[in-house]
Amino acid sequence: MSSWLDYTINGLIVGNVYALVAVGLALIFGVSRLINFAQGSIYLVGAYIGWVAVVQLHTPLPLTIIVVAVAAALVGLIIERFGLRPLQNSVRIAPLLATIGISFVLDQLVMLTFSPNPRALPSQLPDVRFQVGGGTIGPLDLLIAGVGITSALLLFVFLRYSKLGWAIRATAQDRDAAMQMGVDVNRVNQAVFGIAAALGGVSGMLVGMYYNQIDTAMSLQATLKGVVAEVVGGAGNVPGAVVGSLLLGLVESYGVAVFGTSYRNLFAFLLLVVVLVLRPNGLFASARQAPPEPLTGTFIAPSRPVRIPRWALLVAAGVFAILPFFPVSFYVLQTLINAWLLGMLALSLTLVAGTIGQVSLGHAALLAIGAYTSALLSLNFSVPVGLAIIGGGLMSAALGTALISPSFRLRGHYVSIATLAIGEIVSLVILNWESVTRGPIGISGIPPLSLFGYDLISATSIYWFSFSAMVVLALLQGRLLGSHLGRSFRAIRDDDIAARAYGLSLNRYKSLAFIFGGFAAGVSGGIAAHLYSYINHETFNTQQSILALTVVILGGLGNVVGAILGSVALVGLPEVFRIAAEYRILIYGIVLLLLVRFRPQGLLGTI
Amino acid sequence: MSNIDRRTLVKCSLATMMAGAAFPRGAFAQPSEPILLGVSGPLTGPNAQYGTQWKQGFDLALDEILAAGGINGRKLAYNFEDSQSDPRQSVAIAQKFVSDPRIVMELGDFSSPASMAASPIYQRAGLVQFGFTNSHPDFTKGGDFMWSTSVSQADEQPLLASYAVKRLGLKKLAVLHLNTDWGRTSRDYFVNAAKEYGAEIAVTEGYIAEERDFRSTLVRVRDASPDGLILISYYSDGALIARQARQVGLKQVICAASSVYSPKFLELGGDAVEDVHVGTRYFPEDPRPEVQKFIAGFKKKYNGQEPDAFNAYAYDAMNMAAAVVKIGGTDRRAIREAFTKVRDVPSVIFGAATFDAASRRVKGAMNAELVVRKGQFALWDGKPT
Repeated sequence: MSSWLDYTINGLIVGNVYALVAVGLALIFGVSRLINFAQGSIYLVGAYIGWVAVVQLHTPLPLTIIVVAVAAALVGLIIERFGLRPLQNSVRIAPLLATIGISFVLDQLVMLTFSPNPRALPSQLPDVRFQVGGGTIGPLDLLIAGVGITSALLLFVFLRYSKLGWAIRATAQDRDAAMQMGVDVNRVNQAVFGIAAALGGVSGMLVGMYYNQIDTAMSLQATLKGVVAEVVGGAGNVPGAVVGSLLLGLVESYGVAVFGTSYRNLFAFLLLVVVLVLRPNGLFASARQAPPEPLTGTFIAPSRPVRIPRWALLVAAGVFAILPFFPVSFYVLQTLINAWLLGMLALSLTLVAGTIGQVSLGHAALLAIGAYTSALLSLNFSVPVGLAIIGGGLMSAALGTALISPSFRLRGHYVSIATLAIGEIVSLVILNWESVTRGPIGISGIPPLSLFGYDLISATSIYWFSFSAMVVLALLQGRLLGSHLGRSFRAIRDDDIAARAYGLSLNRYKSLAFIFGGFAAGVSGGIAAHLYSYINHETFNTQQSILALTVVILGGLGNVVGAILGSVALVGLPEVFRIAAEYRILIYGIVLLLLVRFRPQGLLGTI
Repeated sequence: MSNIDRRTLVKCSLATMMAGAAFPRGAFAQPSEPILLGVSGPLTGPNAQYGTQWKQGFDLALDEILAAGGINGRKLAYNFEDSQSDPRQSVAIAQKFVSDPRIVMELGDFSSPASMAASPIYQRAGLVQFGFTNSHPDFTKGGDFMWSTSVSQADEQPLLASYAVKRLGLKKLAVLHLNTDWGRTSRDYFVNAAKEYGAEIAVTEGYIAEERDFRSTLVRVRDASPDGLILISYYSDGALIARQARQVGLKQVICAASSVYSPKFLELGGDAVEDVHVGTRYFPEDPRPEVQKFIAGFKKKYNGQEPDAFNAYAYDAMNMAAAVVKIGGTDRRAIREAFTKVRDVPSVIFGAATFDAASRRVKGAMNAELVVRKGQFALWDGKPT
């Protein structure tokens, strides 16, 4: 019994830590309807500024907090002014992508300045421990709780009773109306980003002190947990974010208690999916609350797609098809193989995200399902590789659609978050279901690609295999988009209420899109498994999902040629920047930001 | 595809001829040019810290090799390509290395997915993939061009178990391990050895690499009432666990695998890692000349910084590569053969390293039983803590 008290206390303690990030995310979401993927990076910047203050400048704690808050707020203001404000009249999804690019840039800058080695960030509070239950808590626990709850309360009061707070809430409800009423919307956004960034920076520093450890990998984890907590509490709801964080901490702690440590995150993400399905606006949304997404399709703005003449496509396909005959190195071919594999994933995502409007952030899970199915079929049941890959595609289509179906009733950002969670769940199930997936050991000795009994092991033959698989899938998808199905998909994306009124069954069409998309992604994963010969739960990770989404947005949502072009660009760019060694991801992030800034509808435009 | 007509076919055959003409160029490197090794490893991304540690170890070894006259008068150098430990990038790097005639051997990658995805390419092209941190039991099974000086966990874990059970007298153990291929394999070898030595395993808990909060895990550990905690961790997570264990009031003996052996473990763990026992492969006061040379050289080159386990692995790997290239020259196949011929290479981790031709690994890692005393690693004096 006493153990349960300890689990409860531990859950609340770690929930405290999540709350610090979640509050900042909630504030930004509340005003700009934007999930700020750069919040974790600001948290990282705050932690390192804190390190400089504490270790190099020996500032006392109150001064450290002020220094970190001011510096982080400045970073937030810079992000708002130069990263996001130029995008305010463009597609709704552009700022989302911009925050991803900003987080790349910030993380890399910190890594280059401070080296990736973890550092100790000593706590400046007296080291006394209070006995609570079977464990102890320290002054830092209380400080973190204090900062989290106080900031949430202050923000709540500020939003409700101050003039700027009113302006912020007015802007959140209706930007244009607020502007007409004389609210300086830009100033409001500035204030929000400044406050959220200051909070994010201070929380990074406090959490760094809490664990006596800061490193450059902490940013993505912080964002992930913060997003989960925020959405559980109700996106944009500041006090809800605190309660959501505590709940998340508790669920994780009880999960560890009952099933063991390796199941911990599984419970976090299951909680998220359950909350989203049962109460899509979060636990604490009032029934009267307006839907947090606009009713019709302003999330993905229509644009005029670039028309590429048929002959140009044929020539391009021809050139790539005969490329291995030219004196190109295997390195170029291998890079293009990676691009074709990513291209298949992007085709899948551009269909579900672009054409039918379900922006998925967990698409790597479909790769993983396809890869594991194909690998296990060929290893355990001696299925020929060609058939095993198709089996992987079918499994990915079936299982992927089944997993995603509970979130069909969600809209806009909530789809993204639900799919993010489902992606994490698939990865954790692979890690823990050892009897089938061999857990962390992974699957090795996967047979190489083969077709009709001939092994395809040279880079040239793998190139042709993956290229033709991608072309076939692209042609099929082109046909699909031109058919009545494609029109129905776009109708659902552009206005789901009108589409339903017109007699379209939303769930059925969404399922169809995911079945087709799941197949393409599964085939890509299957080919990858046989190409690598070894896969484990880390092979297809969240970064892959984010990369795929970047490709799709870069190419133009729903645009088949754009997806392929985007894949070649985003696989190629980091390779081209290889010469820049440690700086290449930084350059990649900057290029991404520039693309979003000057071509938010994607290179080839939304179809 | 559908539009291959006669003209393209002519172009193709022309291209093939050009390709044939293009390849022999550059196959003959000038003797004055350095002998080049390819390194595939993380310089950015979540594992970037390990890539930078590799570089430190490599550079120190290369300085010493150059000072000793290089490889038969030629300089040894490496070309480090950043893979982010991502299999997609490591396969592209593999193609780059195998088609670059200057590269005589490859070192890396860091993680198992990245390394083993590239193995088929190296194997087919006949370029040695020397994975010096790849403890995955299947790594060297990828083919006869896969060689590793990573300490086999089948070797290391029984040493740790012997330290914990036989020397420290622990009878009931809680094992916390990273839930990766390395941690999982290590755990299995450790548990088997510890049981053989007569200890009981009270609980084992696997955690993911990004985990930072271990309080609830430690409640599970407490409820299993062990008399010792075994950490199969890297230094950053090992330090976190030790700190939180002390914070929640667990006072049991902590015994950790050699991968925590790093000055960072002391820095990140602070007071909490005092009296933590660590089974390592070398220690600073080790009188062996290769250890003294390594530590003195490292501190001199890097402003007094203490080397850690990953620095040592990289240093040893570069020395091994030099010894192999000395025998095998610059021919890729001859280099593979040289791995079977090279004998007793001075090594920090193994003393004198010789490959076992069957497993393509080195057996017989050195053993040192250390404990943290007054914030420093010291040889354990046999006194209970």
